[in-house]
Amino acid sequence: MANRVFATLFVWILWCLPTADAQDSPHTRLFDFDCAACSPADALALLSRQSGVNIAFNTAFFRDCPPVTVSVRQEPFEILLGKITGCADLSYRWGTNQVVLYRKTRYFTLSGYVQDAETGERLIGASIRTRNSGAITNEFGFFSLTLESGEYRVTVSSIGYRPETQVLALESDRLMTFSLAPNSALPEVVVTAQPAGEASGTQDGGRHNLPFSATHGMPMPGGEADLLRLAAFQPGVQTGVDGLGGLHVRGGNADQNLFLLDDVPVYNPSHALGLFSVFNPSVVNSARLWKGDFPARYSGRVSSVLDVRTRDGHLRDHKAEVSVGLFAASATLEGPLKRDTSSFLLSGRTTYFGPWINYFSQRDNLLTFSGDNIAYRFYDANLKLNHIFSEKSRLYLSIYQGGDVFRNQFVQRFDNLEGTATDQYTLGSEWGNSIASLRWNYLIRNNLFSNTTVRFSRFFYQSRLTLRSTFLSASGRETLLANYGQLYQTLIEDWSGKTDFSYYPTNNLTLRWGVSYTLHAFQPGALSVNFLVPGQSPLAIDSLSQTLLNNERLGADEGDAYAEADWRFGNLWALEAGFNFSTFQVRNNVFRAPQPRIRLQFGKSTGWRTWAGYHRTAQFLHQIGSFNISLPFELWVPTTARVQPEHAWQVSGGIGFRRSGWDIQVEGYYKQLERVLTFLPSNTALLTGGAEDASGWEDRIAAGQGLTYGAELVVEKRFRSTLVSLVYAWSKSERQFPELNSGRVFPFRFDRRHDLKIVLEQRLAPWADVTLAWVYATGNPITLAGLKYQHHTPNGDIERNVFVYTDVNGYRLPPYHRLDVALNAHWGKQTLKHDLQLGVYNAYNRFNPFFLYVDAGSGTNAKAVQYTLLPLVPSFRYTLNF
Amino acid sequence: MLPKPAFYFLLTLLALTMGCVREVALELPDVPTRIVALSHFTIGKPIQVEVSLSQKLTDAGDPVIPFNADVSIAVGGQFLDKLFRVVDAGGRTYWQSRDLVEVGTEYSLAVRIGGLETIEAVSSAPKPVPLAAVRVDTAQMVLTTLPDGKRVLRVPLQIQLAQSPNGNRFFAFALRHEIETFEIVNGEPVPDEYYEVQSKFLADGRTLALVYDTPEQVVLVNENYWSDNQNTLHLDAIVPFDPAYERPRQILVEWRTLSEEFYRYHLSLARQGNNIPLNDPDALYNNILGGYGNFSGYSALEYATAIPNAF
Repeated sequence: MANRVFATLFVWILWCLPTADAQDSPHTRLFDFDCAACSPADALALLSRQSGVNIAFNTAFFRDCPPVTVSVRQEPFEILLGKITGCADLSYRWGTNQVVLYRKTRYFTLSGYVQDAETGERLIGASIRTRNSGAITNEFGFFSLTLESGEYRVTVSSIGYRPETQVLALESDRLMTFSLAPNSALPEVVVTAQPAGEASGTQDGGRHNLPFSATHGMPMPGGEADLLRLAAFQPGVQTGVDGLGGLHVRGGNADQNLFLLDDVPVYNPSHALGLFSVFNPSVVNSARLWKGDFPARYSGRVSSVLDVRTRDGHLRDHKAEVSVGLFAASATLEGPLKRDTSSFLLSGRTTYFGPWINYFSQRDNLLTFSGDNIAYRFYDANLKLNHIFSEKSRLYLSIYQGGDVFRNQFVQRFDNLEGTATDQYTLGSEWGNSIASLRWNYLIRNNLFSNTTVRFSRFFYQSRLTLRSTFLSASGRETLLANYGQLYQTLIEDWSGKTDFSYYPTNNLTLRWGVSYTLHAFQPGALSVNFLVPGQSPLAIDSLSQTLLNNERLGADEGDAYAEADWRFGNLWALEAGFNFSTFQVRNNVFRAPQPRIRLQFGKSTGWRTWAGYHRTAQFLHQIGSFNISLPFELWVPTTARVQPEHAWQVSGGIGFRRSGWDIQVEGYYKQLERVLTFLPSNTALLTGGAEDASGWEDRIAAGQGLTYGAELVVEKRFRSTLVSLVYAWSKSERQFPELNSGRVFPFRFDRRHDLKIVLEQRLAPWADVTLAWVYATGNPITLAGLKYQHHTPNGDIERNVFVYTDVNGYRLPPYHRLDVALNAHWGKQTLKHDLQLGVYNAYNRFNPFFLYVDAGSGTNAKAVQYTLLPLVPSFRYTLNF
Repeated sequence: MLPKPAFYFLLTLLALTMGCVREVALELPDVPTRIVALSHFTIGKPIQVEVSLSQKLTDAGDPVIPFNADVSIAVGGQFLDKLFRVVDAGGRTYWQSRDLVEVGTEYSLAVRIGGLETIEAVSSAPKPVPLAAVRVDTAQMVLTTLPDGKRVLRVPLQIQLAQSPNGNRFFAFALRHEIETFEIVNGEPVPDEYYEVQSKFLADGRTLALVYDTPEQVVLVNENYWSDNQNTLHLDAIVPFDPAYERPRQILVEWRTLSEEFYRYHLSLARQGNNIPLNDPDALYNNILGGYGNFSGYSALEYATAIPNAF
């Protein structure tokens, strides 16, 4: 209403009226009126004189109006008024014998997209601001602002881009695309908890935008940029030692994190047991992490969400990137299929990690077998196509295929006087993800955005083991003793569809709602074995030939519906409230999970602010395994009547300050995990050996409780060419299972009381910078025996050492700490850019314990052996863009 | 037993950590030496208790046997018997009662050694829960001839409880088969002698997931097995023999009804894992107050089922 009346010249017309009509109300009287080719102002003056009603108005209202000709008989005053002022779209208000005209308030929607000026890539989390209003682009680069008609200075900004300001006259709905030019002069951000979108003011505390493009500056093992390692630099986020074991967010299990790649769940986010993530840095556009307080549109996991979006591909030029590192190499090609209309992005990455393993294993002969021949590699392939049908309609196709391949062949020989027996083992294991999504963005109205997705996700693991046993007699005759084959498989496969709507009725309110349906298929684990012996193929013992154990395939239906509102009110308040309702059906059992979520924030994005929230989450899928690191052959299984869904609730609150380059945040949380699951170890082997990984899994799952609470501190200071970041978390995380530890509470395996990360980035020159990152964490708790005794069989034949484990996770490993250093250089022109990183991971060669192994040996000389995964590792990566 | 895929992954991890292996001195809390008592007793037999002293993890050599131990049994708070020490022909030392175990009687064990904390424990031998039957499904028996001429007989068994167990559902079994050997005299087989061997067996996945090998040479059945009114174990006994001079004769089943102390102890032993690094062991169940070990009773019934002579 700001420009409604003032800054104008008011013309007051006062006229003495005939006394005969003074007693009549102008509302009801009828007038004759004639005015030919009058300006509206003159016509109003004439009407005022004739009617005796004071008419107040601004002559500027009629600046663009043509003269009017009005000739009426016996018409009401208000009809006359309308005919005179019709071109100006005015409204009026009656006073005592007075009418005040004012311009009708007209609202228009400024909506559209923000994109990279060079590549046409849509920018996620970009800020669009006017003097009093603002919006943030969504995950498709879309924004919507509803403003009164008028002229505005619109400033568009995004991290890493030069801000752009435009003056716009908004006299109708406008659909615009803003283009921002990359700003290479800005200091590169390395690690930050600062949200990119500051306007909404609801992105502090448990939410982090991960500036993934900047990971090229972070020291990583082998120089391989890694999203999960970057996530682990956020407070409250841990991995196992040196990145193994998946992510553990605020005391949660590794399977309690939802990894989304272009909106599709990724069941195995890691390669090489966790050393590298499946997110190829060359294709990642944005990544966002929520630590338990995620909005209602996300569901299916109880601890966190990592939402990763890939780039669309250059819409204008063909570009290529080739990157070579110590362990892996990648190549990316992108470009327009039709300029500014459709594009593609194709990227591949593979590793040459295997020879390293083989070299070390041969050199140190740890495996003690002869003829070891280990081969390992992983690969990722991404393809993305998109087509712009119109400003309102766009289609995306994303495909990802990635996996790990492991081969090992080794030989054991046993000599005696009669000859030599040889066992030759060959193991081939493969595992990986296949992911596809087809998404259609459609702008229904300028403030109503829709996205419909069809998606597919599949994770499989399979392992083939063969054993060939031969005996070479002293006389030189070779006999085939056994030929054994074993195939183990586990699989989870999803087909799903979802549709989401975002509605921006006002600048202070965003409504989202949507529904989704997923059809799951599980094969929790199947083992088939074959014995093959000479002369009969395939035959040895019929009962064991082609035995297939636990070949059950389970289907399940999962449905989701959600609604959420993001409301800012009173300038300083922001409320984010949502509700998610999920259902899961398996074996004719239906489970339902209502999940309310709310978050309230007070304060400005700069200066002081505080927030608090309550979030409830549920999980119907579970990954179970016997080991305390996340391994690919661990099983994804559904909730069933005997394995109830996991639930969690979290309350959190914090306070933050951001000004003058300082960003300080403190947040506390208290989180309860209900019916958290664990897989009970077993020694069942009997005749089939190895089958226990999958068999009877429902009977081997124990449900318990988890409790975790803590406080997290982020202090970040940005100087002219220096960035210092300190992240500290104090936390306590416990578990309690009736079937473990005699029912007593015990520390979670990733319970770390103190977790400190300090990062310093110093820009040395416009083309070079150095990054130092120091990490310290309390040692992980482990279960170790304190004593032993001997247990004899009844006849005394066999003695067994019994290790007295008095408390689960009752012992702590030594603290973990390391220093990483990286020197980054960038040179070249736009058409040929070079990036080089040289660095050292674990610079002072700290032997951090990966695990301790009590080697009982023969049972009489027990000793502990500490294994370290990554000592000092040099890193190197060279990237060429052209 | 064939290695699992996990084993190979761990080998890979070990390969990765080449040169990064260190022996470390464990800074474990200094746990004082305590008395260890181990006894699994059953109805109609004397109680035998093995007594030793606990060892530090890094101790080498055999555990110390405290020959001066004072081992006694009480029932209902009344002294019953002072056990006497026995060293058998194999050199195994244990303390044995004069009284024989009675069903349902709660025995209290006390072991005293000068300078060490006295230990106490309580258990009983439960009333045996009988089997309704041990059946052989002869129609499903499969005989396979191996290339060397030996044969393997797969014998489907149903081990059925008389009724679905209520309350304590702690059971174990031992599966054996008896082989008859014979000589050929004048072209006719003449039985010579019999011998028993422990049988390997197959089962479906759920069953295999719920049974555990124990050092007692019996197979523990998880109490969860009996959910859903399940009262029958389905197993396929594997019986190898040489047809030239052997013939399978019968299947033998020892069916044990366990005290909870027996069950919990052996279950926790099984859950200590298979000594693979990164595997989380469970805490050891201990019903010895002031010490370690296990004092627990069980009852046992024997069943025999003939294998049809056609083989």
